[in-house]
Amino acid sequence: MSSTKERVGCVVLPGDVLTCGSELPEGKRDKLICGPGLRRDVDDVVVCKSGILRHKEPNLYWVDSQQTRYVPAKGEGVIGIVTAKSGDVFKVDIGGSELATLSYLAFEGATKRNRPNVQVGDLVYSQLIIANKDMEPELVCIDSCGRANGMGVFGAGGLLFKVSLGLVRKLLLPQSEVIQDLDSMFPFEMVVGMNGRIWVKSRSTQQTLIVANLLESCEHMTTAQRRDVLRRLSQNCL
Amino acid sequence: MSPWKVCVPGERLCSTEVCKAGSGTYIRHSFIFASLAGYVVKKNEGEELPVISVARETEAQLLPDVNAIVTCKVTSINPRFAKVHILYVGSTPLKNKFRGTIRKEDVRATEKDKVEIYKCFRPGDIVLAKVISLGDVQSNYLLTTAENELGVVVAHSEAGVQMVPISWCEMQCPRTHAKEFRKVARVQPEYLMP
Repeated sequence: MSSTKERVGCVVLPGDVLTCGSELPEGKRDKLICGPGLRRDVDDVVVCKSGILRHKEPNLYWVDSQQTRYVPAKGEGVIGIVTAKSGDVFKVDIGGSELATLSYLAFEGATKRNRPNVQVGDLVYSQLIIANKDMEPELVCIDSCGRANGMGVFGAGGLLFKVSLGLVRKLLLPQSEVIQDLDSMFPFEMVVGMNGRIWVKSRSTQQTLIVANLLESCEHMTTAQRRDVLRRLSQNCL
Repeated sequence: MSPWKVCVPGERLCSTEVCKAGSGTYIRHSFIFASLAGYVVKKNEGEELPVISVARETEAQLLPDVNAIVTCKVTSINPRFAKVHILYVGSTPLKNKFRGTIRKEDVRATEKDKVEIYKCFRPGDIVLAKVISLGDVQSNYLLTTAENELGVVVAHSEAGVQMVPISWCEMQCPRTHAKEFRKVARVQPEYLMP
C-alpha cells in the first residue's frame, strides 16, 4: 500500500500496476476501495484510465481523468434534446452512443389522457434509470416519489454549450468556488448536466455570452487567474 | 434396397388403415398426405402399423418441439425480452440457427413482474431454456427459463473471463472478483466436468 500512497497526485497511465499483492505479507493487507479508473486483476490493482491518482481517507482511491465523450451511467442527471416522438416515448439525445427513451408517463402529473407539453427541440433535464452497454438508455423526469424535483422541460431563451466532464464535476461540488465567484458578478440561471452540457441564461444576451465564455475557460485556469479575470471584467463592465 | 420414392407436398401416400402418420405428413379424410417435398420413409416399429414419414435430407432435421430443452445464445436484450439464437436441441447441434425470444415474465417462476432483464441475461450468455410455443409465421420460438434447472450456464464477465456461479442469481469473475447478476441454472452434478 505504501507505493500507492506515494503516487497520489501523480499522473498514472493505463497499464500501471499500483500494488503487487505478493509483496505484502498476509496479515498486513488492508482493504483498498477501487474507484473509477482502477480495476482489480487477481492480486494487483491496475490503472485503466490516464489521469491523476486521488485519495480519500481512509482507503478510497480513484483516477481523475479528463474526457469530453459522455458514457451514460445510471442515476446521473443529464440535459437532453428531444429529437423525435415515436409511439409512447420521446427519443432524446444525451450525447451518448445511442438515443435515450423518455416515456410520456414519466413526468409529474402525466396520465394517459393528460400528455406533457413537450415538443421536438425542447431541452429536458432528467435522470437516467437504465444505462448500460447492452441496452439503450432510459430517462425519467420524476423521482421515486413521483415528484418532479426540478426535472422536466426548461430553456426558453438562454444558451446551451458543451464542456468537458471534469469541469462539470467541479461545478457540481457542494461548495464550488467557480459558482461563488460568478455569483458576485451578476445574476444568472444555470442548469448543469452530467453529460457535459451547461445551459445558462442571464438578463441580457451579452451577459449570457460572458458567463458562457467564463465557464468554458475556467477549466484551465487556476483560482488566482480566475479571480484576476473576474476583477478585470467587473471593472470594465460595471 | 429399393430406391426411395420421391414425393411432393399434397401427394397422397396411403390410407390410415395401412400405416400411421409420422413427421412430414398429415391426415385428411382418413388418408395420409405428404406435407414436405422429399423421400418417403416407411419404418416398421414392431407395433401393429408401420410409420410413414417424409424426410427432406438423408438425416432427419431435428426441430425444436414444445417442451424440448434447448441450448441457446443471447444475442440482444431489451427491457421487455431477450432475443436468442437456438444452437442445440437436447444434445444434437442444429445446422441452421433458429431464433427465440425469452419474455420478461417467462424468466422466473416467482416475482415475475419485478424481473430486470439486465440482471438475468447479457448478450453472449449461453442459456438452457424450454420451448413453450412455436410462435406463428413471423414471430420466433417462445422460450422460458422459469425452472431451477434452466437459465444461464456459461457467462463471461466484463473482463472477458468465464465466471463461476455462486448462487441462483449471482456469478463471480475469478480474476477481478466482481459479482454480476444472472439467472443461473442449477446443473445436475453428473453433467459438470471435473
